[in-house]
Amino acid sequence: MRAWRIAAIVTVLAGFPATAAAQDAEALRREIEQLRQQMERSQREYQKSLETLTERLQRLESRPQPPAPTAVTPPPATPPTVAAPAAPATAPPGLADLARPRQPFTLYGERRQGQLLFDIGVAADLVGNVVQRNVEKAQAGTFAGRENRFFPREVELALFGQIDPYARGEVRIEAAEEFEDGERSLEVNLAEAYLTLLTLPFSTQAKLGFMRNRFGLLNERHLHDGPQVDRPNVLVKFLGDEGLRESGAELTWVPPLPFYMQALVGVFNGDNDEAFGRGSLKAPLVTGRLRSFFELGDAHALQLGVSAATGETPDRRRSTLAGLDAKFKFTPEGWRHSLLTVGGEWLYSNRTVEVFDATGAGADRKRKRTGWYAYAEVQPWQRWLGGVRYDWTQYPVDPGDEWAVEPYIAFSPSEFLRFRLAYKHTERSHRVTGPDDRGSGRILDELLFQATFFLGAHSTHGF
Amino acid sequence: MKRPLGLLFLALLTLAGALPAGAAAKLRVIATIPDLKALTEAVGGDLVEVDSLARSNQNPHDLEVRPSLMVKLRRADALVVNGLELDQWAEAVIRGANNARVVPGSPGYIDASRGIPVLDVPTVRVDRSMGDVHPLGNPHYTVDPGLAPIVTQTLLEGLARLAPEQRPALERQRQAFLARLEPALARWQTTLAPLQAARFVVYHNDFGYFFRRFGLRQLGTIEERPGIPPSPAHLARLVRDMKDAGARVVIVVEPWSDHKLAARLAEEAGARVAVVNARLGAASGSEAYLASVEANVTALAQAAR
Repeated sequence: MRAWRIAAIVTVLAGFPATAAAQDAEALRREIEQLRQQMERSQREYQKSLETLTERLQRLESRPQPPAPTAVTPPPATPPTVAAPAAPATAPPGLADLARPRQPFTLYGERRQGQLLFDIGVAADLVGNVVQRNVEKAQAGTFAGRENRFFPREVELALFGQIDPYARGEVRIEAAEEFEDGERSLEVNLAEAYLTLLTLPFSTQAKLGFMRNRFGLLNERHLHDGPQVDRPNVLVKFLGDEGLRESGAELTWVPPLPFYMQALVGVFNGDNDEAFGRGSLKAPLVTGRLRSFFELGDAHALQLGVSAATGETPDRRRSTLAGLDAKFKFTPEGWRHSLLTVGGEWLYSNRTVEVFDATGAGADRKRKRTGWYAYAEVQPWQRWLGGVRYDWTQYPVDPGDEWAVEPYIAFSPSEFLRFRLAYKHTERSHRVTGPDDRGSGRILDELLFQATFFLGAHSTHGF
Repeated sequence: MKRPLGLLFLALLTLAGALPAGAAAKLRVIATIPDLKALTEAVGGDLVEVDSLARSNQNPHDLEVRPSLMVKLRRADALVVNGLELDQWAEAVIRGANNARVVPGSPGYIDASRGIPVLDVPTVRVDRSMGDVHPLGNPHYTVDPGLAPIVTQTLLEGLARLAPEQRPALERQRQAFLARLEPALARWQTTLAPLQAARFVVYHNDFGYFFRRFGLRQLGTIEERPGIPPSPAHLARLVRDMKDAGARVVIVVEPWSDHKLAARLAEEAGARVAVVNARLGAASGSEAYLASVEANVTALAQAAR
C-alpha cells in the first residue's frame, strides 16, 4: 500500500513539470499565432499602401499633357461619384481648330513623349529547300539557283503612318539573297514607296507611287504574308518572281451598295519583265479590278474578284492578262481564327509574240495561255495549321505546261513568329536543263521550310 | 468587252444616285466595339444610329478585317475607336471604306480614350518577350462603369462637332444617362463588396479597371503572356496558386475565351467560372451599357457566392 502511495506521489511530481511545459507551449503557440496575424496585417497594410502609391504614380504618369482636372479618377477607395460630369483631360478640338489646317507638330501632340510620328516594323522571311541533285544542276527548283540552301528571301524594313490628315504613306526596303546571271548576291532594294490620299470626294481613294498591284488574290501580298512558303507556279510563270510591282497610280471607288464592292483602275509604267516591260507612260500598263464580298451568316465569308491588266511588251506588242479569284473562310462562332480557308485564282494571258519561220521572216502570233491554283487549309488550333495547294499552268509563251501539289503545315508560337514545312511535287511536260545542258528539272521533289518573324509594327491585312 | 463594263459602271452610278444619301437626319455612327456602341447610344439617343464593327462574341484584339466592316463604315458620319492600340485593325477598315469623313484627323474620327487615366502604362522598357503587350497602357477601360462619365463626355464632344445644333439635346441625354448610372454604381458596389474576399483569375488582363473600381483582387491570368496561349507549366502553377489562395476563386471568361480550358482549371482547382461580357451587344439603346455591366456584376456575384 505504501509502495502504491510512493508511486502515486512520484507520478504526480513527474507529471507536474510536463503539464507546466504543455501550458508554456500553448502560450508560445498563441504568441506565434498573434505574431503571424500581426505580420499578415502589416503585410496587407504595406500591400495596400504600395498599391495606392503605384496607382497614384500611374495616374500621374498617364496624365495627358498638358494636364487638366478630371472629375472621375481611377478606382477610389470609396464608391465613386458620377454626379459631376467630367471633362476629358484634353478637350477634343473645337470647330475653329478643325477648320484650321493641321501641322505636323499638332499631330505630334497626340502622341506621347518619345514616340515617333510613324510606325517601324521588320518582317524577316528565311527559307530553305532540299531537292534532288539533278534539279540543283539544272537550276530548275522553286528557288532557282538557290537549291539546297537556306537563305534570307526577304528581310523587309517597313515605315508607315499618316503623312498628314489627308494622306498615309508607306515605304518598304528589302534585303534578299538574289540569283541572277549565275551569281548569288545579297541585294538591298526599294520594295514599295507610295502614298494614299484618304480624303478624296465621292468615296474615292488614290494610291500613288511604287507598289504591289492589287491584281488577283495574292499579288498584293508580300512573300512573308503568303498562305504557303512559295508563290503558286501560275503566278510566277505569268508575272515573274517578284509579281506585278509597278510605279504609277491606282484609283479606287466603293459604291454605296448594300454589299461590299470595290472598283479599281490603275495606270502604270509597265516595268514587269515577264508580262509587260514597255516601261513608258506613253503606252502604259492599265489595270482594273472589281472585288466583292458576301457574308453567308456570321461564320461563312466569301470574297470574289475579277482583275485585268493590259500593256505592251518591250518589243511593243500587246499583252493582256485577266484573272478570277475567290476566297472562302469558315470561322465557327467565338473562334479567334478560321477553321477552314479555301482560295484560288484562274489566270488567262493573251500575248502577241513575234515568231520566225524557217526563212527567218517574222510574223506576229497570239499566245493564249491559262493556269490556275487552289488551296485549302484547316486550322483546328490557334498555333497549328495544315493545308494543301494544287496548281497547274501553261507557259505564257513557250509550249508546255506543269502541275504541282504541295501539302504543308505551319506552327505559330505567337502571331509574330511562324514556321512552315512543305513538300512540293512538280511535274513538267518537258525537261528543263541548266547551263551547259546539265541536270534535269522535269520531275521535282522538294522539301521547303520557312521561318518568318516580325519585329515592331506590322500593317493589318485584309480578308 | 468594253460595252458590258461600261454598262455596269453606269448601273452602279445610277444606283449610287438613287440611294437616299441623306434621307435620315440621324448621325450614322460606327463604333469599333459593342461597349462603345452602347455608350454612344446612351449619349446620342434618337439622334444617332449606331452600329459596332466587332460583334459581341468576337475578341476585339484581333478582329479579322472583312470587307463587310468596310460596308458599315462606308456611309458613316463618325467612327468611334477605343484607341490605346486595342482596335488597330480599324485602320485597315478605314483604308478600305473610302470614307473621308472618318479618317484619322477628320472631325468624324472620335478616339474615346482621350482623357482616360490609363492603367498599367509600362514604366520600364517593354518588348514582345512579354507577349503582345499594350505599350500605351491597358486599353480595356470601357468595362469600368466609373469611367463612363469621361468616355461619354468625349463622345458628346465628338458628336457635337458633327451636329453642333444638337449639343443641348446630347448634353441632356448624357446627364440622364449619368443620373441612371450613379445609383447603379452604388448598387454594384454593394453587390460586389462581399466579393473582396474572393480571388479572380482572368483569361486576359481586360478586367483591371473593373477590379480596381470595385476593390476586387486578381490572382492571375490564364494566358501566360498577353496574346500567347498558356503553357502546361504555367497552368500547373496557376492551379497551385488557385488551390493555395485560401479563398473562393472565380475564373472570369469572355465569350471568345477558351471555355473548355477554364472549366478544366476550375475543376482541378475547385474554382467557379463566370462568363462576362456575354450580354454585350445583346441589348440596344440607352440602357444597353447599364444592362451589360449589370449582367457582368450578376455573373461575378453568382459565381463567387
